[in-house]
Amino acid sequence: MPARPVVKRLPARRGLFAGFKGNVDAITIGLKYLVDPKRITLIYPNEYIKLDPGYRGFIVLEPKKCINCSSCARICPAAAMRMIRRMEEDPKTGKKKMKLWPVINYQRCIFCGYCVDVCPTEALYTVPYHDIVYENMAEMDWGLETFVKPPEYPTAKEGIPVKYIVDEEKGLVKVRAEEGEEE
Amino acid sequence: MAGIIDLILSIIFYPPIYQLVLVGLTGSLVVVIFIIWFERKATARVQRRLGPYHIAPRLAGLPQLVADLIRYAFQEVIIPRTADRELFVLAPIVATVLSILPIAVVPLTSNPAYWPIPMDYSILVALALTTVSPIFLIVAGWASNNKFSIIGGVREAFVITAYEMIAIMSILSASAAVLTFNLVEIVEAQRIWYILLNPIAFLAAFLSVLMATSGFPFEIPESENEVVAGPFTEYSGLLYGLNMGAAYMKRFAFSILMVLVFLGGWSPYTPGEGILSGYLIPSLIVVAKAAILMMIFSLTRSIYGRFRLDQALEGAWRLVFPMAVLGFGLALLEAYLGVM
Ligand code: SF4
Ligand code: SF4
Repeated sequence: MPARPVVKRLPARRGLFAGFKGNVDAITIGLKYLVDPKRITLIYPNEYIKLDPGYRGFIVLEPKKCINCSSCARICPAAAMRMIRRMEEDPKTGKKKMKLWPVINYQRCIFCGYCVDVCPTEALYTVPYHDIVYENMAEMDWGLETFVKPPEYPTAKEGIPVKYIVDEEKGLVKVRAEEGEEE
Repeated sequence: MAGIIDLILSIIFYPPIYQLVLVGLTGSLVVVIFIIWFERKATARVQRRLGPYHIAPRLAGLPQLVADLIRYAFQEVIIPRTADRELFVLAPIVATVLSILPIAVVPLTSNPAYWPIPMDYSILVALALTTVSPIFLIVAGWASNNKFSIIGGVREAFVITAYEMIAIMSILSASAAVLTFNLVEIVEAQRIWYILLNPIAFLAAFLSVLMATSGFPFEIPESENEVVAGPFTEYSGLLYGLNMGAAYMKRFAFSILMVLVFLGGWSPYTPGEGILSGYLIPSLIVVAKAAILMMIFSLTRSIYGRFRLDQALEGAWRLVFPMAVLGFGLALLEAYLGVM
């Protein structure tokens, strides 16, 4: 069935000075902010947002807990996690044995956190930062040595940690993360 | 030696050169750079951002505009194959020159030795000159041979029809009140600034200048999200910079005219004899007042959104034009009562 045409009417014209109050209000608000700006811009390298623990940032492996089950590599939707083979000595029997270890390729990872969720022994954990710059693509493909310790976070060394909170009156405000006081 | 310095000074302060080159070109460039910086900074404050910052945090990012200017100056100028070459190049240059031309005919002092032209009909000459430059925006749009630029040019034409009458009427209302076309007499007659005697005309003039220089909320010919950059869509490099600067320079010229007509010109200073007190100081006062007026113009950018073309035209004809007529009537009444 074709769509039925609907007759729409323009709203009735308002009086000549109906917009007057709106204009005055807009100018008042504009001037208020001009005199007292409540800026919320993050001056990024000098300030950075301190994220809460549990944020899905970079992923780190605790090899002691890992049971080499490959679940993480299987669940990964971006094929960023993969298993590599390693000949390792069994500490009890002393025999050499092939073992599978997960490694991660941050060229592909979408930080979805599925691997962390699926791990049966909680051998993977996330660190609450993700803004790390690499000089080339090859560096982003982590080997097992890099994967077992949290990556260095250079921004935190120079920048001030801040947080955004919602204030009842002022709306969004930027505060220092540690002291929790207003800037 | 003293003779040479005198000669140089008399050349620099030869009124047409001084007003066209020093105040018109250099002065307006400095003021325009400052105003664009102020506009960006003020808009950022109102919108809770920082604005230009990283280039020099101590100066609040002021060199950013100089950097932008240098970038424009060295960018490649691309002329599309389909464009009308000569007009395409000429239009922005002519528009820029014409938009500062009104500065060359207004008095910046009451000392007759430093008037660029005889002052008897100066307000008419200045107003006439302000109406010339917009044609070249339309020419620029037409010469680019691009649908966005043509639409932008046509929008410009619509806006011109709306604002020109208002601008002329509201600014001429001062000459109706003082019964003269002589800008010096108009300035001298203002014991009370004319803005206080006739705020309606001032408001109409303010709005019409906003329309004339496509300031928000009337930034219709160049509105980015509708017609890319309007008449300037095909421009690049220095020509684009000229196009953008032309609007601000025009606003500067209009501001100087409005300062003379509404804000008392060089008052509270009384120009005396000699170059310094007779010319330099009063002209600097006028330029400073014009800069302050331009800062107020810039604030509208942070407060208003953009009107649609039909809304702007309707507002201009239904609201601002009657306002200008009312202001003119008020001026006639004041002339009758002899207020000024
Ligand atoms: S976070 Fe997601 S994309 Fe990244 S490795 Fe884990 S499962 Fe794969
Ligand atoms: S899911 Fe956990 S235990 Fe299994 S291989 Fe991956 S990290 Fe190791």
